[in-house]
Amino acid sequence: MNEGSTFPDDQTLLVELDRLVHELDPPPEGLVERVRFALELENLDVEVARWERADELAGVRSVAQGTITFTVSDLTVMINLTKVGRGHRIDGWLVPEGEYGVEVRVAGHDSVSTVADDGGRFVLHDVPRGTTQIVVYIDGNSCRRTVVTPAVVL
Amino acid sequence: MTDARTAEADPPWEGLHGHELYAACMHEARAGNRLAMNRLVTELTPLVWQVARGNGLDRHTAEDVVQTVWLALFRHLDRLADPRALAAWLITTARRESQRAGGRKPPPVPLTDELAETVPSTQPAPEAEVLRAERDRRLWAAFAQLPQRCQELLRLTVLAGRVEYRLVADVLRMPHGSIGPTRGRCLQRMRGLLDAQGGSA
Repeated sequence: MNEGSTFPDDQTLLVELDRLVHELDPPPEGLVERVRFALELENLDVEVARWERADELAGVRSVAQGTITFTVSDLTVMINLTKVGRGHRIDGWLVPEGEYGVEVRVAGHDSVSTVADDGGRFVLHDVPRGTTQIVVYIDGNSCRRTVVTPAVVL
Repeated sequence: MTDARTAEADPPWEGLHGHELYAACMHEARAGNRLAMNRLVTELTPLVWQVARGNGLDRHTAEDVVQTVWLALFRHLDRLADPRALAAWLITTARRESQRAGGRKPPPVPLTDELAETVPSTQPAPEAEVLRAERDRRLWAAFAQLPQRCQELLRLTVLAGRVEYRLVADVLRMPHGSIGPTRGRCLQRMRGLLDAQGGSA
């Protein structure tokens, strides 16, 4: 028996690929729920920042503690997570700095809000763990923008 | 959530499929119906996911792209008049976002390495299952070695029922008549890779 006879025709290969793509590379568990959570924003007129992973090879998405960086065009949002009890303390830093509103949404909980100081820094205590989205309200002289991160599990 | 038929009537998209389902959901979504948005997300997230993965993104970056595409859709829903254009819009936007997200990254992790991550480790499998898993592994390895364009084309065309042939040609900017022959060449190449692996199934 060789592979040549095992996969003789296009149709057989396509059927196998159809199965394999769905079995081996399905959307991550919970992705649909995270998308739905992200869409529950009141105003969907937002820009979505990207999660910049420092170590691409690690490939680890869950971040128990440590720094996460999100960027969108000219704005960078850095957050540092510290586990405290059953929640997190989030130390954040916006670059370029500005006294912007910051909201942290966690699925199943009330959202927590604060305002960054003139150095762009903000701190939020007792943020519950779970599917989380950070929303930054930029209220500049000439423009008003809302930047959101993807909904991620923190 | 329960599946009981409560006092609320069935949603207007109940029982619909394909473009009719999209049309009904988009109509409701424009009026702010979150359930309609959720229905579209459930229906079409696998498509957006495959496009992102077919463009070589790792699973984490692909997830970000999927979320970005959906937020963009509902931000621009008013501009998308024809529900028939929905799938094409999602694919096109997902490709553009994927290429943007992938542009600043090192080459993607080979799919074969991620197999370990996605295949759950289970109890010792019966021999037939071991053989099948081995064959699947070889097929997947061969698929992962195909050029990116082949992988994308194959992923799109196996999503039967969700995507039409013409639409794939349009978003990949290929002449309609060339999809079949191109796909045939990709499959031929895959057979070559399988042969090169040698061994027996």
